Amino acid sequence: MKTLVGAVVWKEVREIRRDPVTMFVAIALPLVMLYLFGSALSLDVKNAPMAVYDLDRSADSRDLIAAFPHSGYFGRVHGIGQESEIGALLDRGKARLVLVIPPDFSERLARGETASLQALIDGSFSATAMVIAGYATAIVQDYSAKRVAKTREPGHATHGPLIQVEGRVWFNAPLKSVYYIVPGLFGVILMAFPPLLTALAVVREKESGSVQQIFVSPIRPWQFIAGKMIPYAVIAFLEMVMILVPGLLWFGVPFQGSFALFLGATLLYVSCTVALGLLVSTVTRSQLVAMLLAIMVTLMPAFLFSGFLFPIFTMPWTMQLYTHLLPARYFVVISRDIAMKGVGLEVWWPQLAALAAYTFVVFAAASLLFRKKVA
Amino acid sequence: MNAARRARLASVVRKELTQFLRDRVMLLLVVYLYTGEVIMCTMALSFDVRNLPTAVADFDRSPQSRMLIDRFGSSGYFTIEHRVTREADLAGLLNSGKALAAVVIPPDFSRRLVRGEPGSVQLVLDGSNANTATVAQGYAQRIVQSFAMEQIGAAAPSMSLPIDYRPRIWYNSQLRYSYFMLLSMIASAGMVVGVITTAASIVREKESGTIEQLMVTPITSAELIGAKMLPTLLVCLLGLVLSLFVAAGFGVPMRGSLVLYFALSSLFLMSSMGVGILVGTLTQTLQQALLISLFALFPILFLSGTMVPLESMPAWLQYAALFSPVTHYMDVLRGIFLKGVGLTVLWPQALAMTVIGGVLLGGSLWRFRRG
Amino acid sequence: MEREAPVIEAVGLTKVYGTRKAVDDVSLAISRGEVFGLIGSDGAGKTTILQILAGILDPNAGRAVVLGYDSVRDATAINSRIGYMSQIFSLYGRLTVEENLDFFADLHRVPEPAKNDRKARLLEFARLERYRARLAKNLSGGMKKKLALCCALIHEPPLLLLDEPTTGVDPVSRREFWNILYQTLAGGTTIVVCTPYMDEAERCTRVALMHAGHLIACDAPRKLRERMSGTMLELTVRPQRAALSALRAAYPATRPYASGDRIHLRVDDRGLDEGEMRAMLERAATVLDNLTTVAPSLEDVFVTALPESVAPPVAIAPERIATRSGSAVETRDLTVKFGAFTAVDRVTLNVRRGEIFGFLGPNGSGKTTTIRVLCGLLAPSSGQALVAGHAVAKEPTAVKSRIGYMSQRFSLYDDLTVDENIRFFAGAYGVTQERLSARREWALDLSGLRGQEVLLTRSLSGGIKQRLALACAVLHEPEVLFLDEPTAGVDPVSRRRFWELINSLSDQGVTVFVTTHYMDEAEHCHTLALLYYGRMIALGSPESLRTQMRAGEMLELECDQPIAALAHFQGVPNVRASFFGDRLHLLVDDAQAARPWIVEQLAKAGHEVRRIERVPLSIEDVFIAFIEMEQERAAANASRAQQAA
Repeated sequence: MKTLVGAVVWKEVREIRRDPVTMFVAIALPLVMLYLFGSALSLDVKNAPMAVYDLDRSADSRDLIAAFPHSGYFGRVHGIGQESEIGALLDRGKARLVLVIPPDFSERLARGETASLQALIDGSFSATAMVIAGYATAIVQDYSAKRVAKTREPGHATHGPLIQVEGRVWFNAPLKSVYYIVPGLFGVILMAFPPLLTALAVVREKESGSVQQIFVSPIRPWQFIAGKMIPYAVIAFLEMVMILVPGLLWFGVPFQGSFALFLGATLLYVSCTVALGLLVSTVTRSQLVAMLLAIMVTLMPAFLFSGFLFPIFTMPWTMQLYTHLLPARYFVVISRDIAMKGVGLEVWWPQLAALAAYTFVVFAAASLLFRKKVA
Repeated sequence: MNAARRARLASVVRKELTQFLRDRVMLLLVVYLYTGEVIMCTMALSFDVRNLPTAVADFDRSPQSRMLIDRFGSSGYFTIEHRVTREADLAGLLNSGKALAAVVIPPDFSRRLVRGEPGSVQLVLDGSNANTATVAQGYAQRIVQSFAMEQIGAAAPSMSLPIDYRPRIWYNSQLRYSYFMLLSMIASAGMVVGVITTAASIVREKESGTIEQLMVTPITSAELIGAKMLPTLLVCLLGLVLSLFVAAGFGVPMRGSLVLYFALSSLFLMSSMGVGILVGTLTQTLQQALLISLFALFPILFLSGTMVPLESMPAWLQYAALFSPVTHYMDVLRGIFLKGVGLTVLWPQALAMTVIGGVLLGGSLWRFRRG
Repeated sequence: MEREAPVIEAVGLTKVYGTRKAVDDVSLAISRGEVFGLIGSDGAGKTTILQILAGILDPNAGRAVVLGYDSVRDATAINSRIGYMSQIFSLYGRLTVEENLDFFADLHRVPEPAKNDRKARLLEFARLERYRARLAKNLSGGMKKKLALCCALIHEPPLLLLDEPTTGVDPVSRREFWNILYQTLAGGTTIVVCTPYMDEAERCTRVALMHAGHLIACDAPRKLRERMSGTMLELTVRPQRAALSALRAAYPATRPYASGDRIHLRVDDRGLDEGEMRAMLERAATVLDNLTTVAPSLEDVFVTALPESVAPPVAIAPERIATRSGSAVETRDLTVKFGAFTAVDRVTLNVRRGEIFGFLGPNGSGKTTTIRVLCGLLAPSSGQALVAGHAVAKEPTAVKSRIGYMSQRFSLYDDLTVDENIRFFAGAYGVTQERLSARREWALDLSGLRGQEVLLTRSLSGGIKQRLALACAVLHEPEVLFLDEPTAGVDPVSRRRFWELINSLSDQGVTVFVTTHYMDEAEHCHTLALLYYGRMIALGSPESLRTQMRAGEMLELECDQPIAALAHFQGVPNVRASFFGDRLHLLVDDAQAARPWIVEQLAKAGHEVRRIERVPLSIEDVFIAFIEMEQERAAANASRAQQAA
């Protein structure tokens, strides 16, 4: 004789196996989302189109110009003949950066005087505009440094010393966006699908009427909720295992820390997301509202405010407080800490504790709100 | 149009409007998406680098080093929160995320500066967020460079730096990501509302059985679909007006023509509704319709240049994004709000949206008639 | 001997939804072993009461004590001890029959050895043993209800609450369902059942009549019948419709109504002149087969007990009367296939103008599919269909402007008001501005909603929605009206009223093509076609079908212990016994020969026979005979095919 929780788990498992839609949503879609977003979401700048209005046309100016595409950050360099073209190129978005080299550029350099250099940058997408501005600055600095080094050689006019900034990057030396997006993406994916599945699972029972048979049985609310949670938590856990390997392999993301710890944290996290879906389902009657609510409460906030893409520290403090309500926020930190920094429990135990508390509260709320009454 | 058709169309349109306005859930969703969501996201989401928690290890402890540190602290980009005396302490701060950057000034910094010798400053960055790190690096370089220009002028007046580099930012001189975010949210709201309300409207008729009743009347498929699109269009136009106010509230400039704004937005909404209608004709239940809408919407919304620029995406995705009306609409919005351009520049986008919308609506009509 | 505490004791139950009182101060007490029936019109509060008793709904006032537990405080204690069947199926479609039973057994903690035993027993009795491994969603409607009953019985509860358990189910499954119930009764179970079927109500120990949330009467069926004043006259007269109109015109106070294939009217103590009535009927071109006084049935009690509500429907009719004669609807070898599955198999029929044509058959026989083809909603795989003189496939627009259609789900917009629905359909069908206000008034009168135009359609009861849907379907005065199961799920009184509307439409020349699974509605039709899983197995007027089917002769038996008497005849060859209300119907080959033998058998067993006489076969009997013949033919074909292979 099974326990009551066990009976619900068994029934749910059998139903899920025979439901192709659920299987598709649980298996195929996370992989699709992983691949699409992993490939697409990056702020790395490569081959940004640029243009040059070179009034000097000297060996020096050509050297400077060549340094841009050579860096890999900039792509084809469009040559501009007239000043009026500048506006058109920027307006149409055909160039993100326009370099203006004055006619006396190489002359002044030869005399050891300061030459001026102008750049016009398309700021309408500010995130990459800043990156482009930064790269351009670095390229110009580099060029300057070479000139200064040359002054040590005899026969050249002297230029003053520079203070260089030596950058050392921890945790993500190549500075590739995808290395930090993918670990966070795991958290978002597990916040997207499992709650949707569980929200629909209960509401479907309400709409079909089979939930009335549950009402008229000895089962207690917490047992029913637990019985629904377990199979979907297992499925969500398997989802993680399923996207972990491809995610790391497809994108070449290095994983510094312990897989065991990661999977352990995952287990807790998926219990949380699944419980959230169940909570949503206890307060709605129609599938439409359940889905909209699930998306508004789980997926959208996780995508936008969990810190996986948009950094939390730049948000106004009220919004930062709000992000504490999102379980995804905690998991993104844990995931990144393990994957990128390779650190263990001693660093991220507060986030783990927060997740545990969250899960418990949500489970309790769902059990209390699920009343065995028709109305 | 003859009188009978006019009368029929009028009664269907009246019915659709009445139903739409009675659906509280939908109305709330629309209002929220055009206001609440826009405000929240614009306020919160950005890639701007400001107030980066920074640690400092000053091994020089000279007036010059202190001045440099001061420059970092007052730039607005870096916030000096920790001062350490041993470099080893930095590890703990970076590991726990308490500091995202650290400035290390070597002991011979001021000596070299005074003597006119080349020097260096170390910047340690948490690369977990590569974008933040890259941008921070750029800011650090600018800060150090301007510091260097002053100091060298004082210390070694006979020498000068080779290049005086002046970058200027067009369209968005403060480089406020919020401007961009607001436009993205307006585009997203139009897409979500356009798809979901029309898909739900059609599928609900199927589920309640009224679709059969409609099919037995002289109402044609084209009339029905047209009538279903009208309430959504009207409500979205209202939402667009609301978002103009929100934009003004955030200080986003409106440099182009309002008429063009509404005209091209309507064109965009036709294609987003086209997607919704296609979904509605292909699915039988509300659950299916919503699931499919959602999973069509998600990539369209986030991979059409709304969050992340197109050129950062792999080539094949960039090509695919051309089929998304949102991609073109984003260009339109940026063009009208920030660049102040008109139809002479934006005609390719207008054409693209017309073609996409035409294909979608035509396809839906054909499918609807068959089923 | 100590009086046993009642199994259910409810006092002053009241439940309010918004401003509507679903249940208003209802008190009742039910003892162990009773079969307690709750009958009433749509929206009377039956389901609400059942849900309160099951502990899954809390009343606003009053209390209910079930099996000694308070339904609000100790709901869980009640939950574990009862069996409950709600109106919707509430099975798990993606689980097999066996898995469903397993789940419910586990849910109620049935120990392992007992579980397998009971499963086997229940499945065998419900004749579902062969379908153990079939997914529940692939069962027919009748099988689903039987399975749901088994699931409610698997933990052998002392109390069963059943909410309309046999609605919409074919007659054969309905009988099997009640057989299962009788078995459990033997074990001392108490049963409370809501039913719209009068014959099922007759089988109950006691019956509670409900209307608009109030308990109107509660007593044993026999006592309720006895309490009714006056006498009931039962006429077997053909054609029924013409007779009904004549009687209504001549004797309105007697409130004549159709009860199956007979007409009942209540005569008060003054009586009436039988000779005069016979003469009048003859003048009306009807043939009177039989006129007797009968003890009033529950249905009679029910119909006469209910207050005469809203004014009788005004027979304002569409002015345009079709004067052309000829075919209104014609099909030739109409076939519809969905992949390998044949839904409609070479159906040929011809419906004359002004006729009421009935399409009968159990759920899933292809009735809806046929109607959809005729309305131009579905293209046939082969064959032809002509409506109002136009080929449906070739001239769909011409057809659409001449037909009206009402689907199973009433197809009104729940989120629009009554007025908005009327205006919308008027506009959609192209009713001109001049005609609009007249048609709108007519529609409001027909549905009895004058003065309530601003009500949201969602808040209307089933019977009223149905009439409104009908009105909206004929706003444009069509020539042919297609009705697909228009009375499904509606209570008997509303059903009756609805048919009166249809009759009046037909009288004005509208052709009505209607499908239904209620066999007793067949009597209202001029011509009937019986569909059985795609094939048309019978076609003709009700009278001609009776003569066609030499199914035997029917004896009606009234005795003191019908249940025991029925048991006596189970398994006796040449005698098929079944219930008809609280009487027995015995189908035999030769009534005259069988009668004395039957009386003798019953006398030997100690039963008292009050009345036994020959009666004409009911339409249900006739159809069951057709169905059985068809089943035999199909079985013979299958075995021949097997032999050849």
